[in-house]
Amino acid sequence: MMAAHRPGPLEALVGYYNRMDDAEEPGWSLEKIGWCIIIDRDGQVVDVLDCHDRNGKKPAPRLLPVPASIKRTVGIAPNFLWDKTSYTLSRTAGTGKRTAQEHAAFVAFHQAQLNGTNDAGLVAFLRFLENWQPDRFNAEPFRSEMLDANIVFRLDGDDDYLHRRPAARRLAERVRETADTRTVFCLVTGERAMPARLHPSIKGVDGAQTAGASLVSFNLDAFCSYDHKQGDNAPTSEGAAFRYGAALNRLLTRNGPNRVRRPVGDATVVFWAEADDPQAARNADDWFQEALHPSVADAGAARAIGDELDAVARGLPLSQLRPDIQPGTRFHVLGLSPNAARLSVRFWQSDSLDAFARRLAAHYDDMRMEPSPWARPPDVNLLLAKTVALQEKFENIPPLLAGEVLRAILAGSPYPRSWLAATLMRLRAGDDPATGWHAAVLRAVLRRARRGANRSDKGDIPVSLDRDYPNIGYQLGRLFAVYELAQRAALGPGVKASMRDRYFGAASATPAGIFAVIIRNGQNHLANVRKKKPGWAAVIEKELEEIFGRIIPAGPLSLPRSLPLEHQAEFAIGYYHQRRERIGGPAGAVADQDAPDAADTAETEE
Amino acid sequence: MGVRLHVWGERACFTRPELKSERVSYDVPPPSAARGILEAIHWKPAIRWHIDRIHVLKPIRFQSLRRNEVGAKASAALAARGMAAGRTDGLGLNVDDHRQQRAATILIDVAYVIEAHFTMTEKAGSGDTPAKHISMFNRRAAQGQCFHRPCLGTREFPAEFALLPEGAPLPASDHPAGSVDLGWMLHDIDFADGCTARFFRAKMEDGVLTVPAADSPDLAA
Repeated sequence: MMAAHRPGPLEALVGYYNRMDDAEEPGWSLEKIGWCIIIDRDGQVVDVLDCHDRNGKKPAPRLLPVPASIKRTVGIAPNFLWDKTSYTLSRTAGTGKRTAQEHAAFVAFHQAQLNGTNDAGLVAFLRFLENWQPDRFNAEPFRSEMLDANIVFRLDGDDDYLHRRPAARRLAERVRETADTRTVFCLVTGERAMPARLHPSIKGVDGAQTAGASLVSFNLDAFCSYDHKQGDNAPTSEGAAFRYGAALNRLLTRNGPNRVRRPVGDATVVFWAEADDPQAARNADDWFQEALHPSVADAGAARAIGDELDAVARGLPLSQLRPDIQPGTRFHVLGLSPNAARLSVRFWQSDSLDAFARRLAAHYDDMRMEPSPWARPPDVNLLLAKTVALQEKFENIPPLLAGEVLRAILAGSPYPRSWLAATLMRLRAGDDPATGWHAAVLRAVLRRARRGANRSDKGDIPVSLDRDYPNIGYQLGRLFAVYELAQRAALGPGVKASMRDRYFGAASATPAGIFAVIIRNGQNHLANVRKKKPGWAAVIEKELEEIFGRIIPAGPLSLPRSLPLEHQAEFAIGYYHQRRERIGGPAGAVADQDAPDAADTAETEE
Repeated sequence: MGVRLHVWGERACFTRPELKSERVSYDVPPPSAARGILEAIHWKPAIRWHIDRIHVLKPIRFQSLRRNEVGAKASAALAARGMAAGRTDGLGLNVDDHRQQRAATILIDVAYVIEAHFTMTEKAGSGDTPAKHISMFNRRAAQGQCFHRPCLGTREFPAEFALLPEGAPLPASDHPAGSVDLGWMLHDIDFADGCTARFFRAKMEDGVLTVPAADSPDLAA
């Protein structure tokens, strides 16, 4: 068997770059360019061209290949033949304390670099720099929107940018060359080459600095070992550093096909397939995006993915279901979290696409619930928002937990126990346990934990109501649901603080203390129902009797004083199952007529 | 002469050199980490440890955490000056001034068997024999003695250890079978040659990482 290759993130990114068909050349990078100034041969401004992409809702600056940007932190360092307006035109919308210095540096740098050139475009550019007066910006064709955007230049009559003229390209290469001629072993590629001192900036990770952040950096003493400086701490070649940077920046393109649409917690997630044929790789990427993040808009596609995942769970290889995906395609998932100027790898998974498909299938299977709380499987963000976030807001999802959950899904490992605790806490804080979202998550966490510990003896946690399931938490959850039914039947659905609002948390954590109250109130409610709807009362009483018969030894006084977290989770599952059950069998007409759940059902089925 | 040591722990972080500001662990311990564990139990200038094989006994699982650390190191120059002057002022680091939040992606629930042997160095005296050192190591490891607490990559993740006596079977392994190429991995630091890092192509067969010798042509620096 061929050895499965499980590379580190940098090595896999370099591999991606090598397969890119439209990769940037070394020394070039894609930058957001807002405007292009057209100059004539004497360096006079002829016109200004808007480079924004105006197809979307908001005009977006266009990504153009330009000579690679200089890494700027606090110093003044101009870029070659392009830059923002404070450098190029000495104008800025901000306070502009250093604008004059920045422009002077830009002019001096280009005068030095372009010295002796006889290329018509570059000569014109030099003249433009000599003649430029910042006041000129106040008149047409300049506009105030241009301030602080990146500017490129073009010679009038030329159809390509100034920095793409052959003479400019040659110079761009010279600018990049350094005096460093020593070589090191590159720990990414395994070849000897010129070492990278500083690593490229990575742009597009949510929450990181907009100017870009470093994945590899040694910017503090504590990160350096054995007196090594900067990049020598981890010998990486200039080429490998450029290539992983270019690949990662490409993957991170907003709304790109390789980026999970919304960050999971604080982690921006990118993924890519490794296939020789670009189209096959793209198909695999699309499939993964859809499987991880079923589209709300396209119900048909969501169903197709669901069927495919079911088939994968039964053991069929994905390539058999989807002939457009190469068998044995390798797949990588990288989650990056911001940490000011640095990026951290929140998770890194590298495996065959089939393995990922099987794990996604297992994930959806572990969360299965009847009746289902959702019409189509939810993506991980929605799931987390519904079960652990305050007010169900995405920004309130605990970031570490989110990362761990996604890792568990992608690695097929046990879900974090903190997910269980956090979900129970939301229920105690008043989330509605009848939605089923919490119950599904709790079931998944319990189920996977048991599978991990090989404790098959305890039996599987039921998908739908299982009256014979012996767990005390589960049965107490059922009991609670039936008493709630009695309350609704007696007082109608308009009760301000229902039993569930008042007692759900306490009843699941400390049953002995609370169920005494619940049972006493329940007797009153049942007496009331008996008068109004005797048939319905009989059904409820029969159900209660059945449950009491299972809480062994029977009788309210023998209820457990407290339930451990696992049993509290079963309580919530039992509650949901009982709550969704149409009790009363064929005589359910009685139940339906009064079924207080009708409204809820409609809302969850969207 | 060879020894086998079973080590395990709740957490481990074998930091990849390129991702060490925001730490990411290798999947399996590099030889230098295994050497450190053996040296914590027994080491003298007379011997040098060589790692032969590392058996991975549990499935590889990751977790991430975020901690407050400091970004500065205590200065050796200042310490030397302080010693000369007989004063300690200015040597301390104030945590509040150097606080750095760093994330780490670490391994959890790990267990390994390290197979290693040692050779005598030129510092060996007339009283140093391999037999003496092997019995010292075996006695110390069997009794749980160590010079300092061995750790799994970083000091905050201590390693439990037990000697596997000669002839004893290997502990059962849950690691899935199959061969995996892990890419380039740190072999060790060559301290004699300006602290150069040396690398090897890490390949794991059925959970066993075979480590090339220090003079192997497969090593690259």
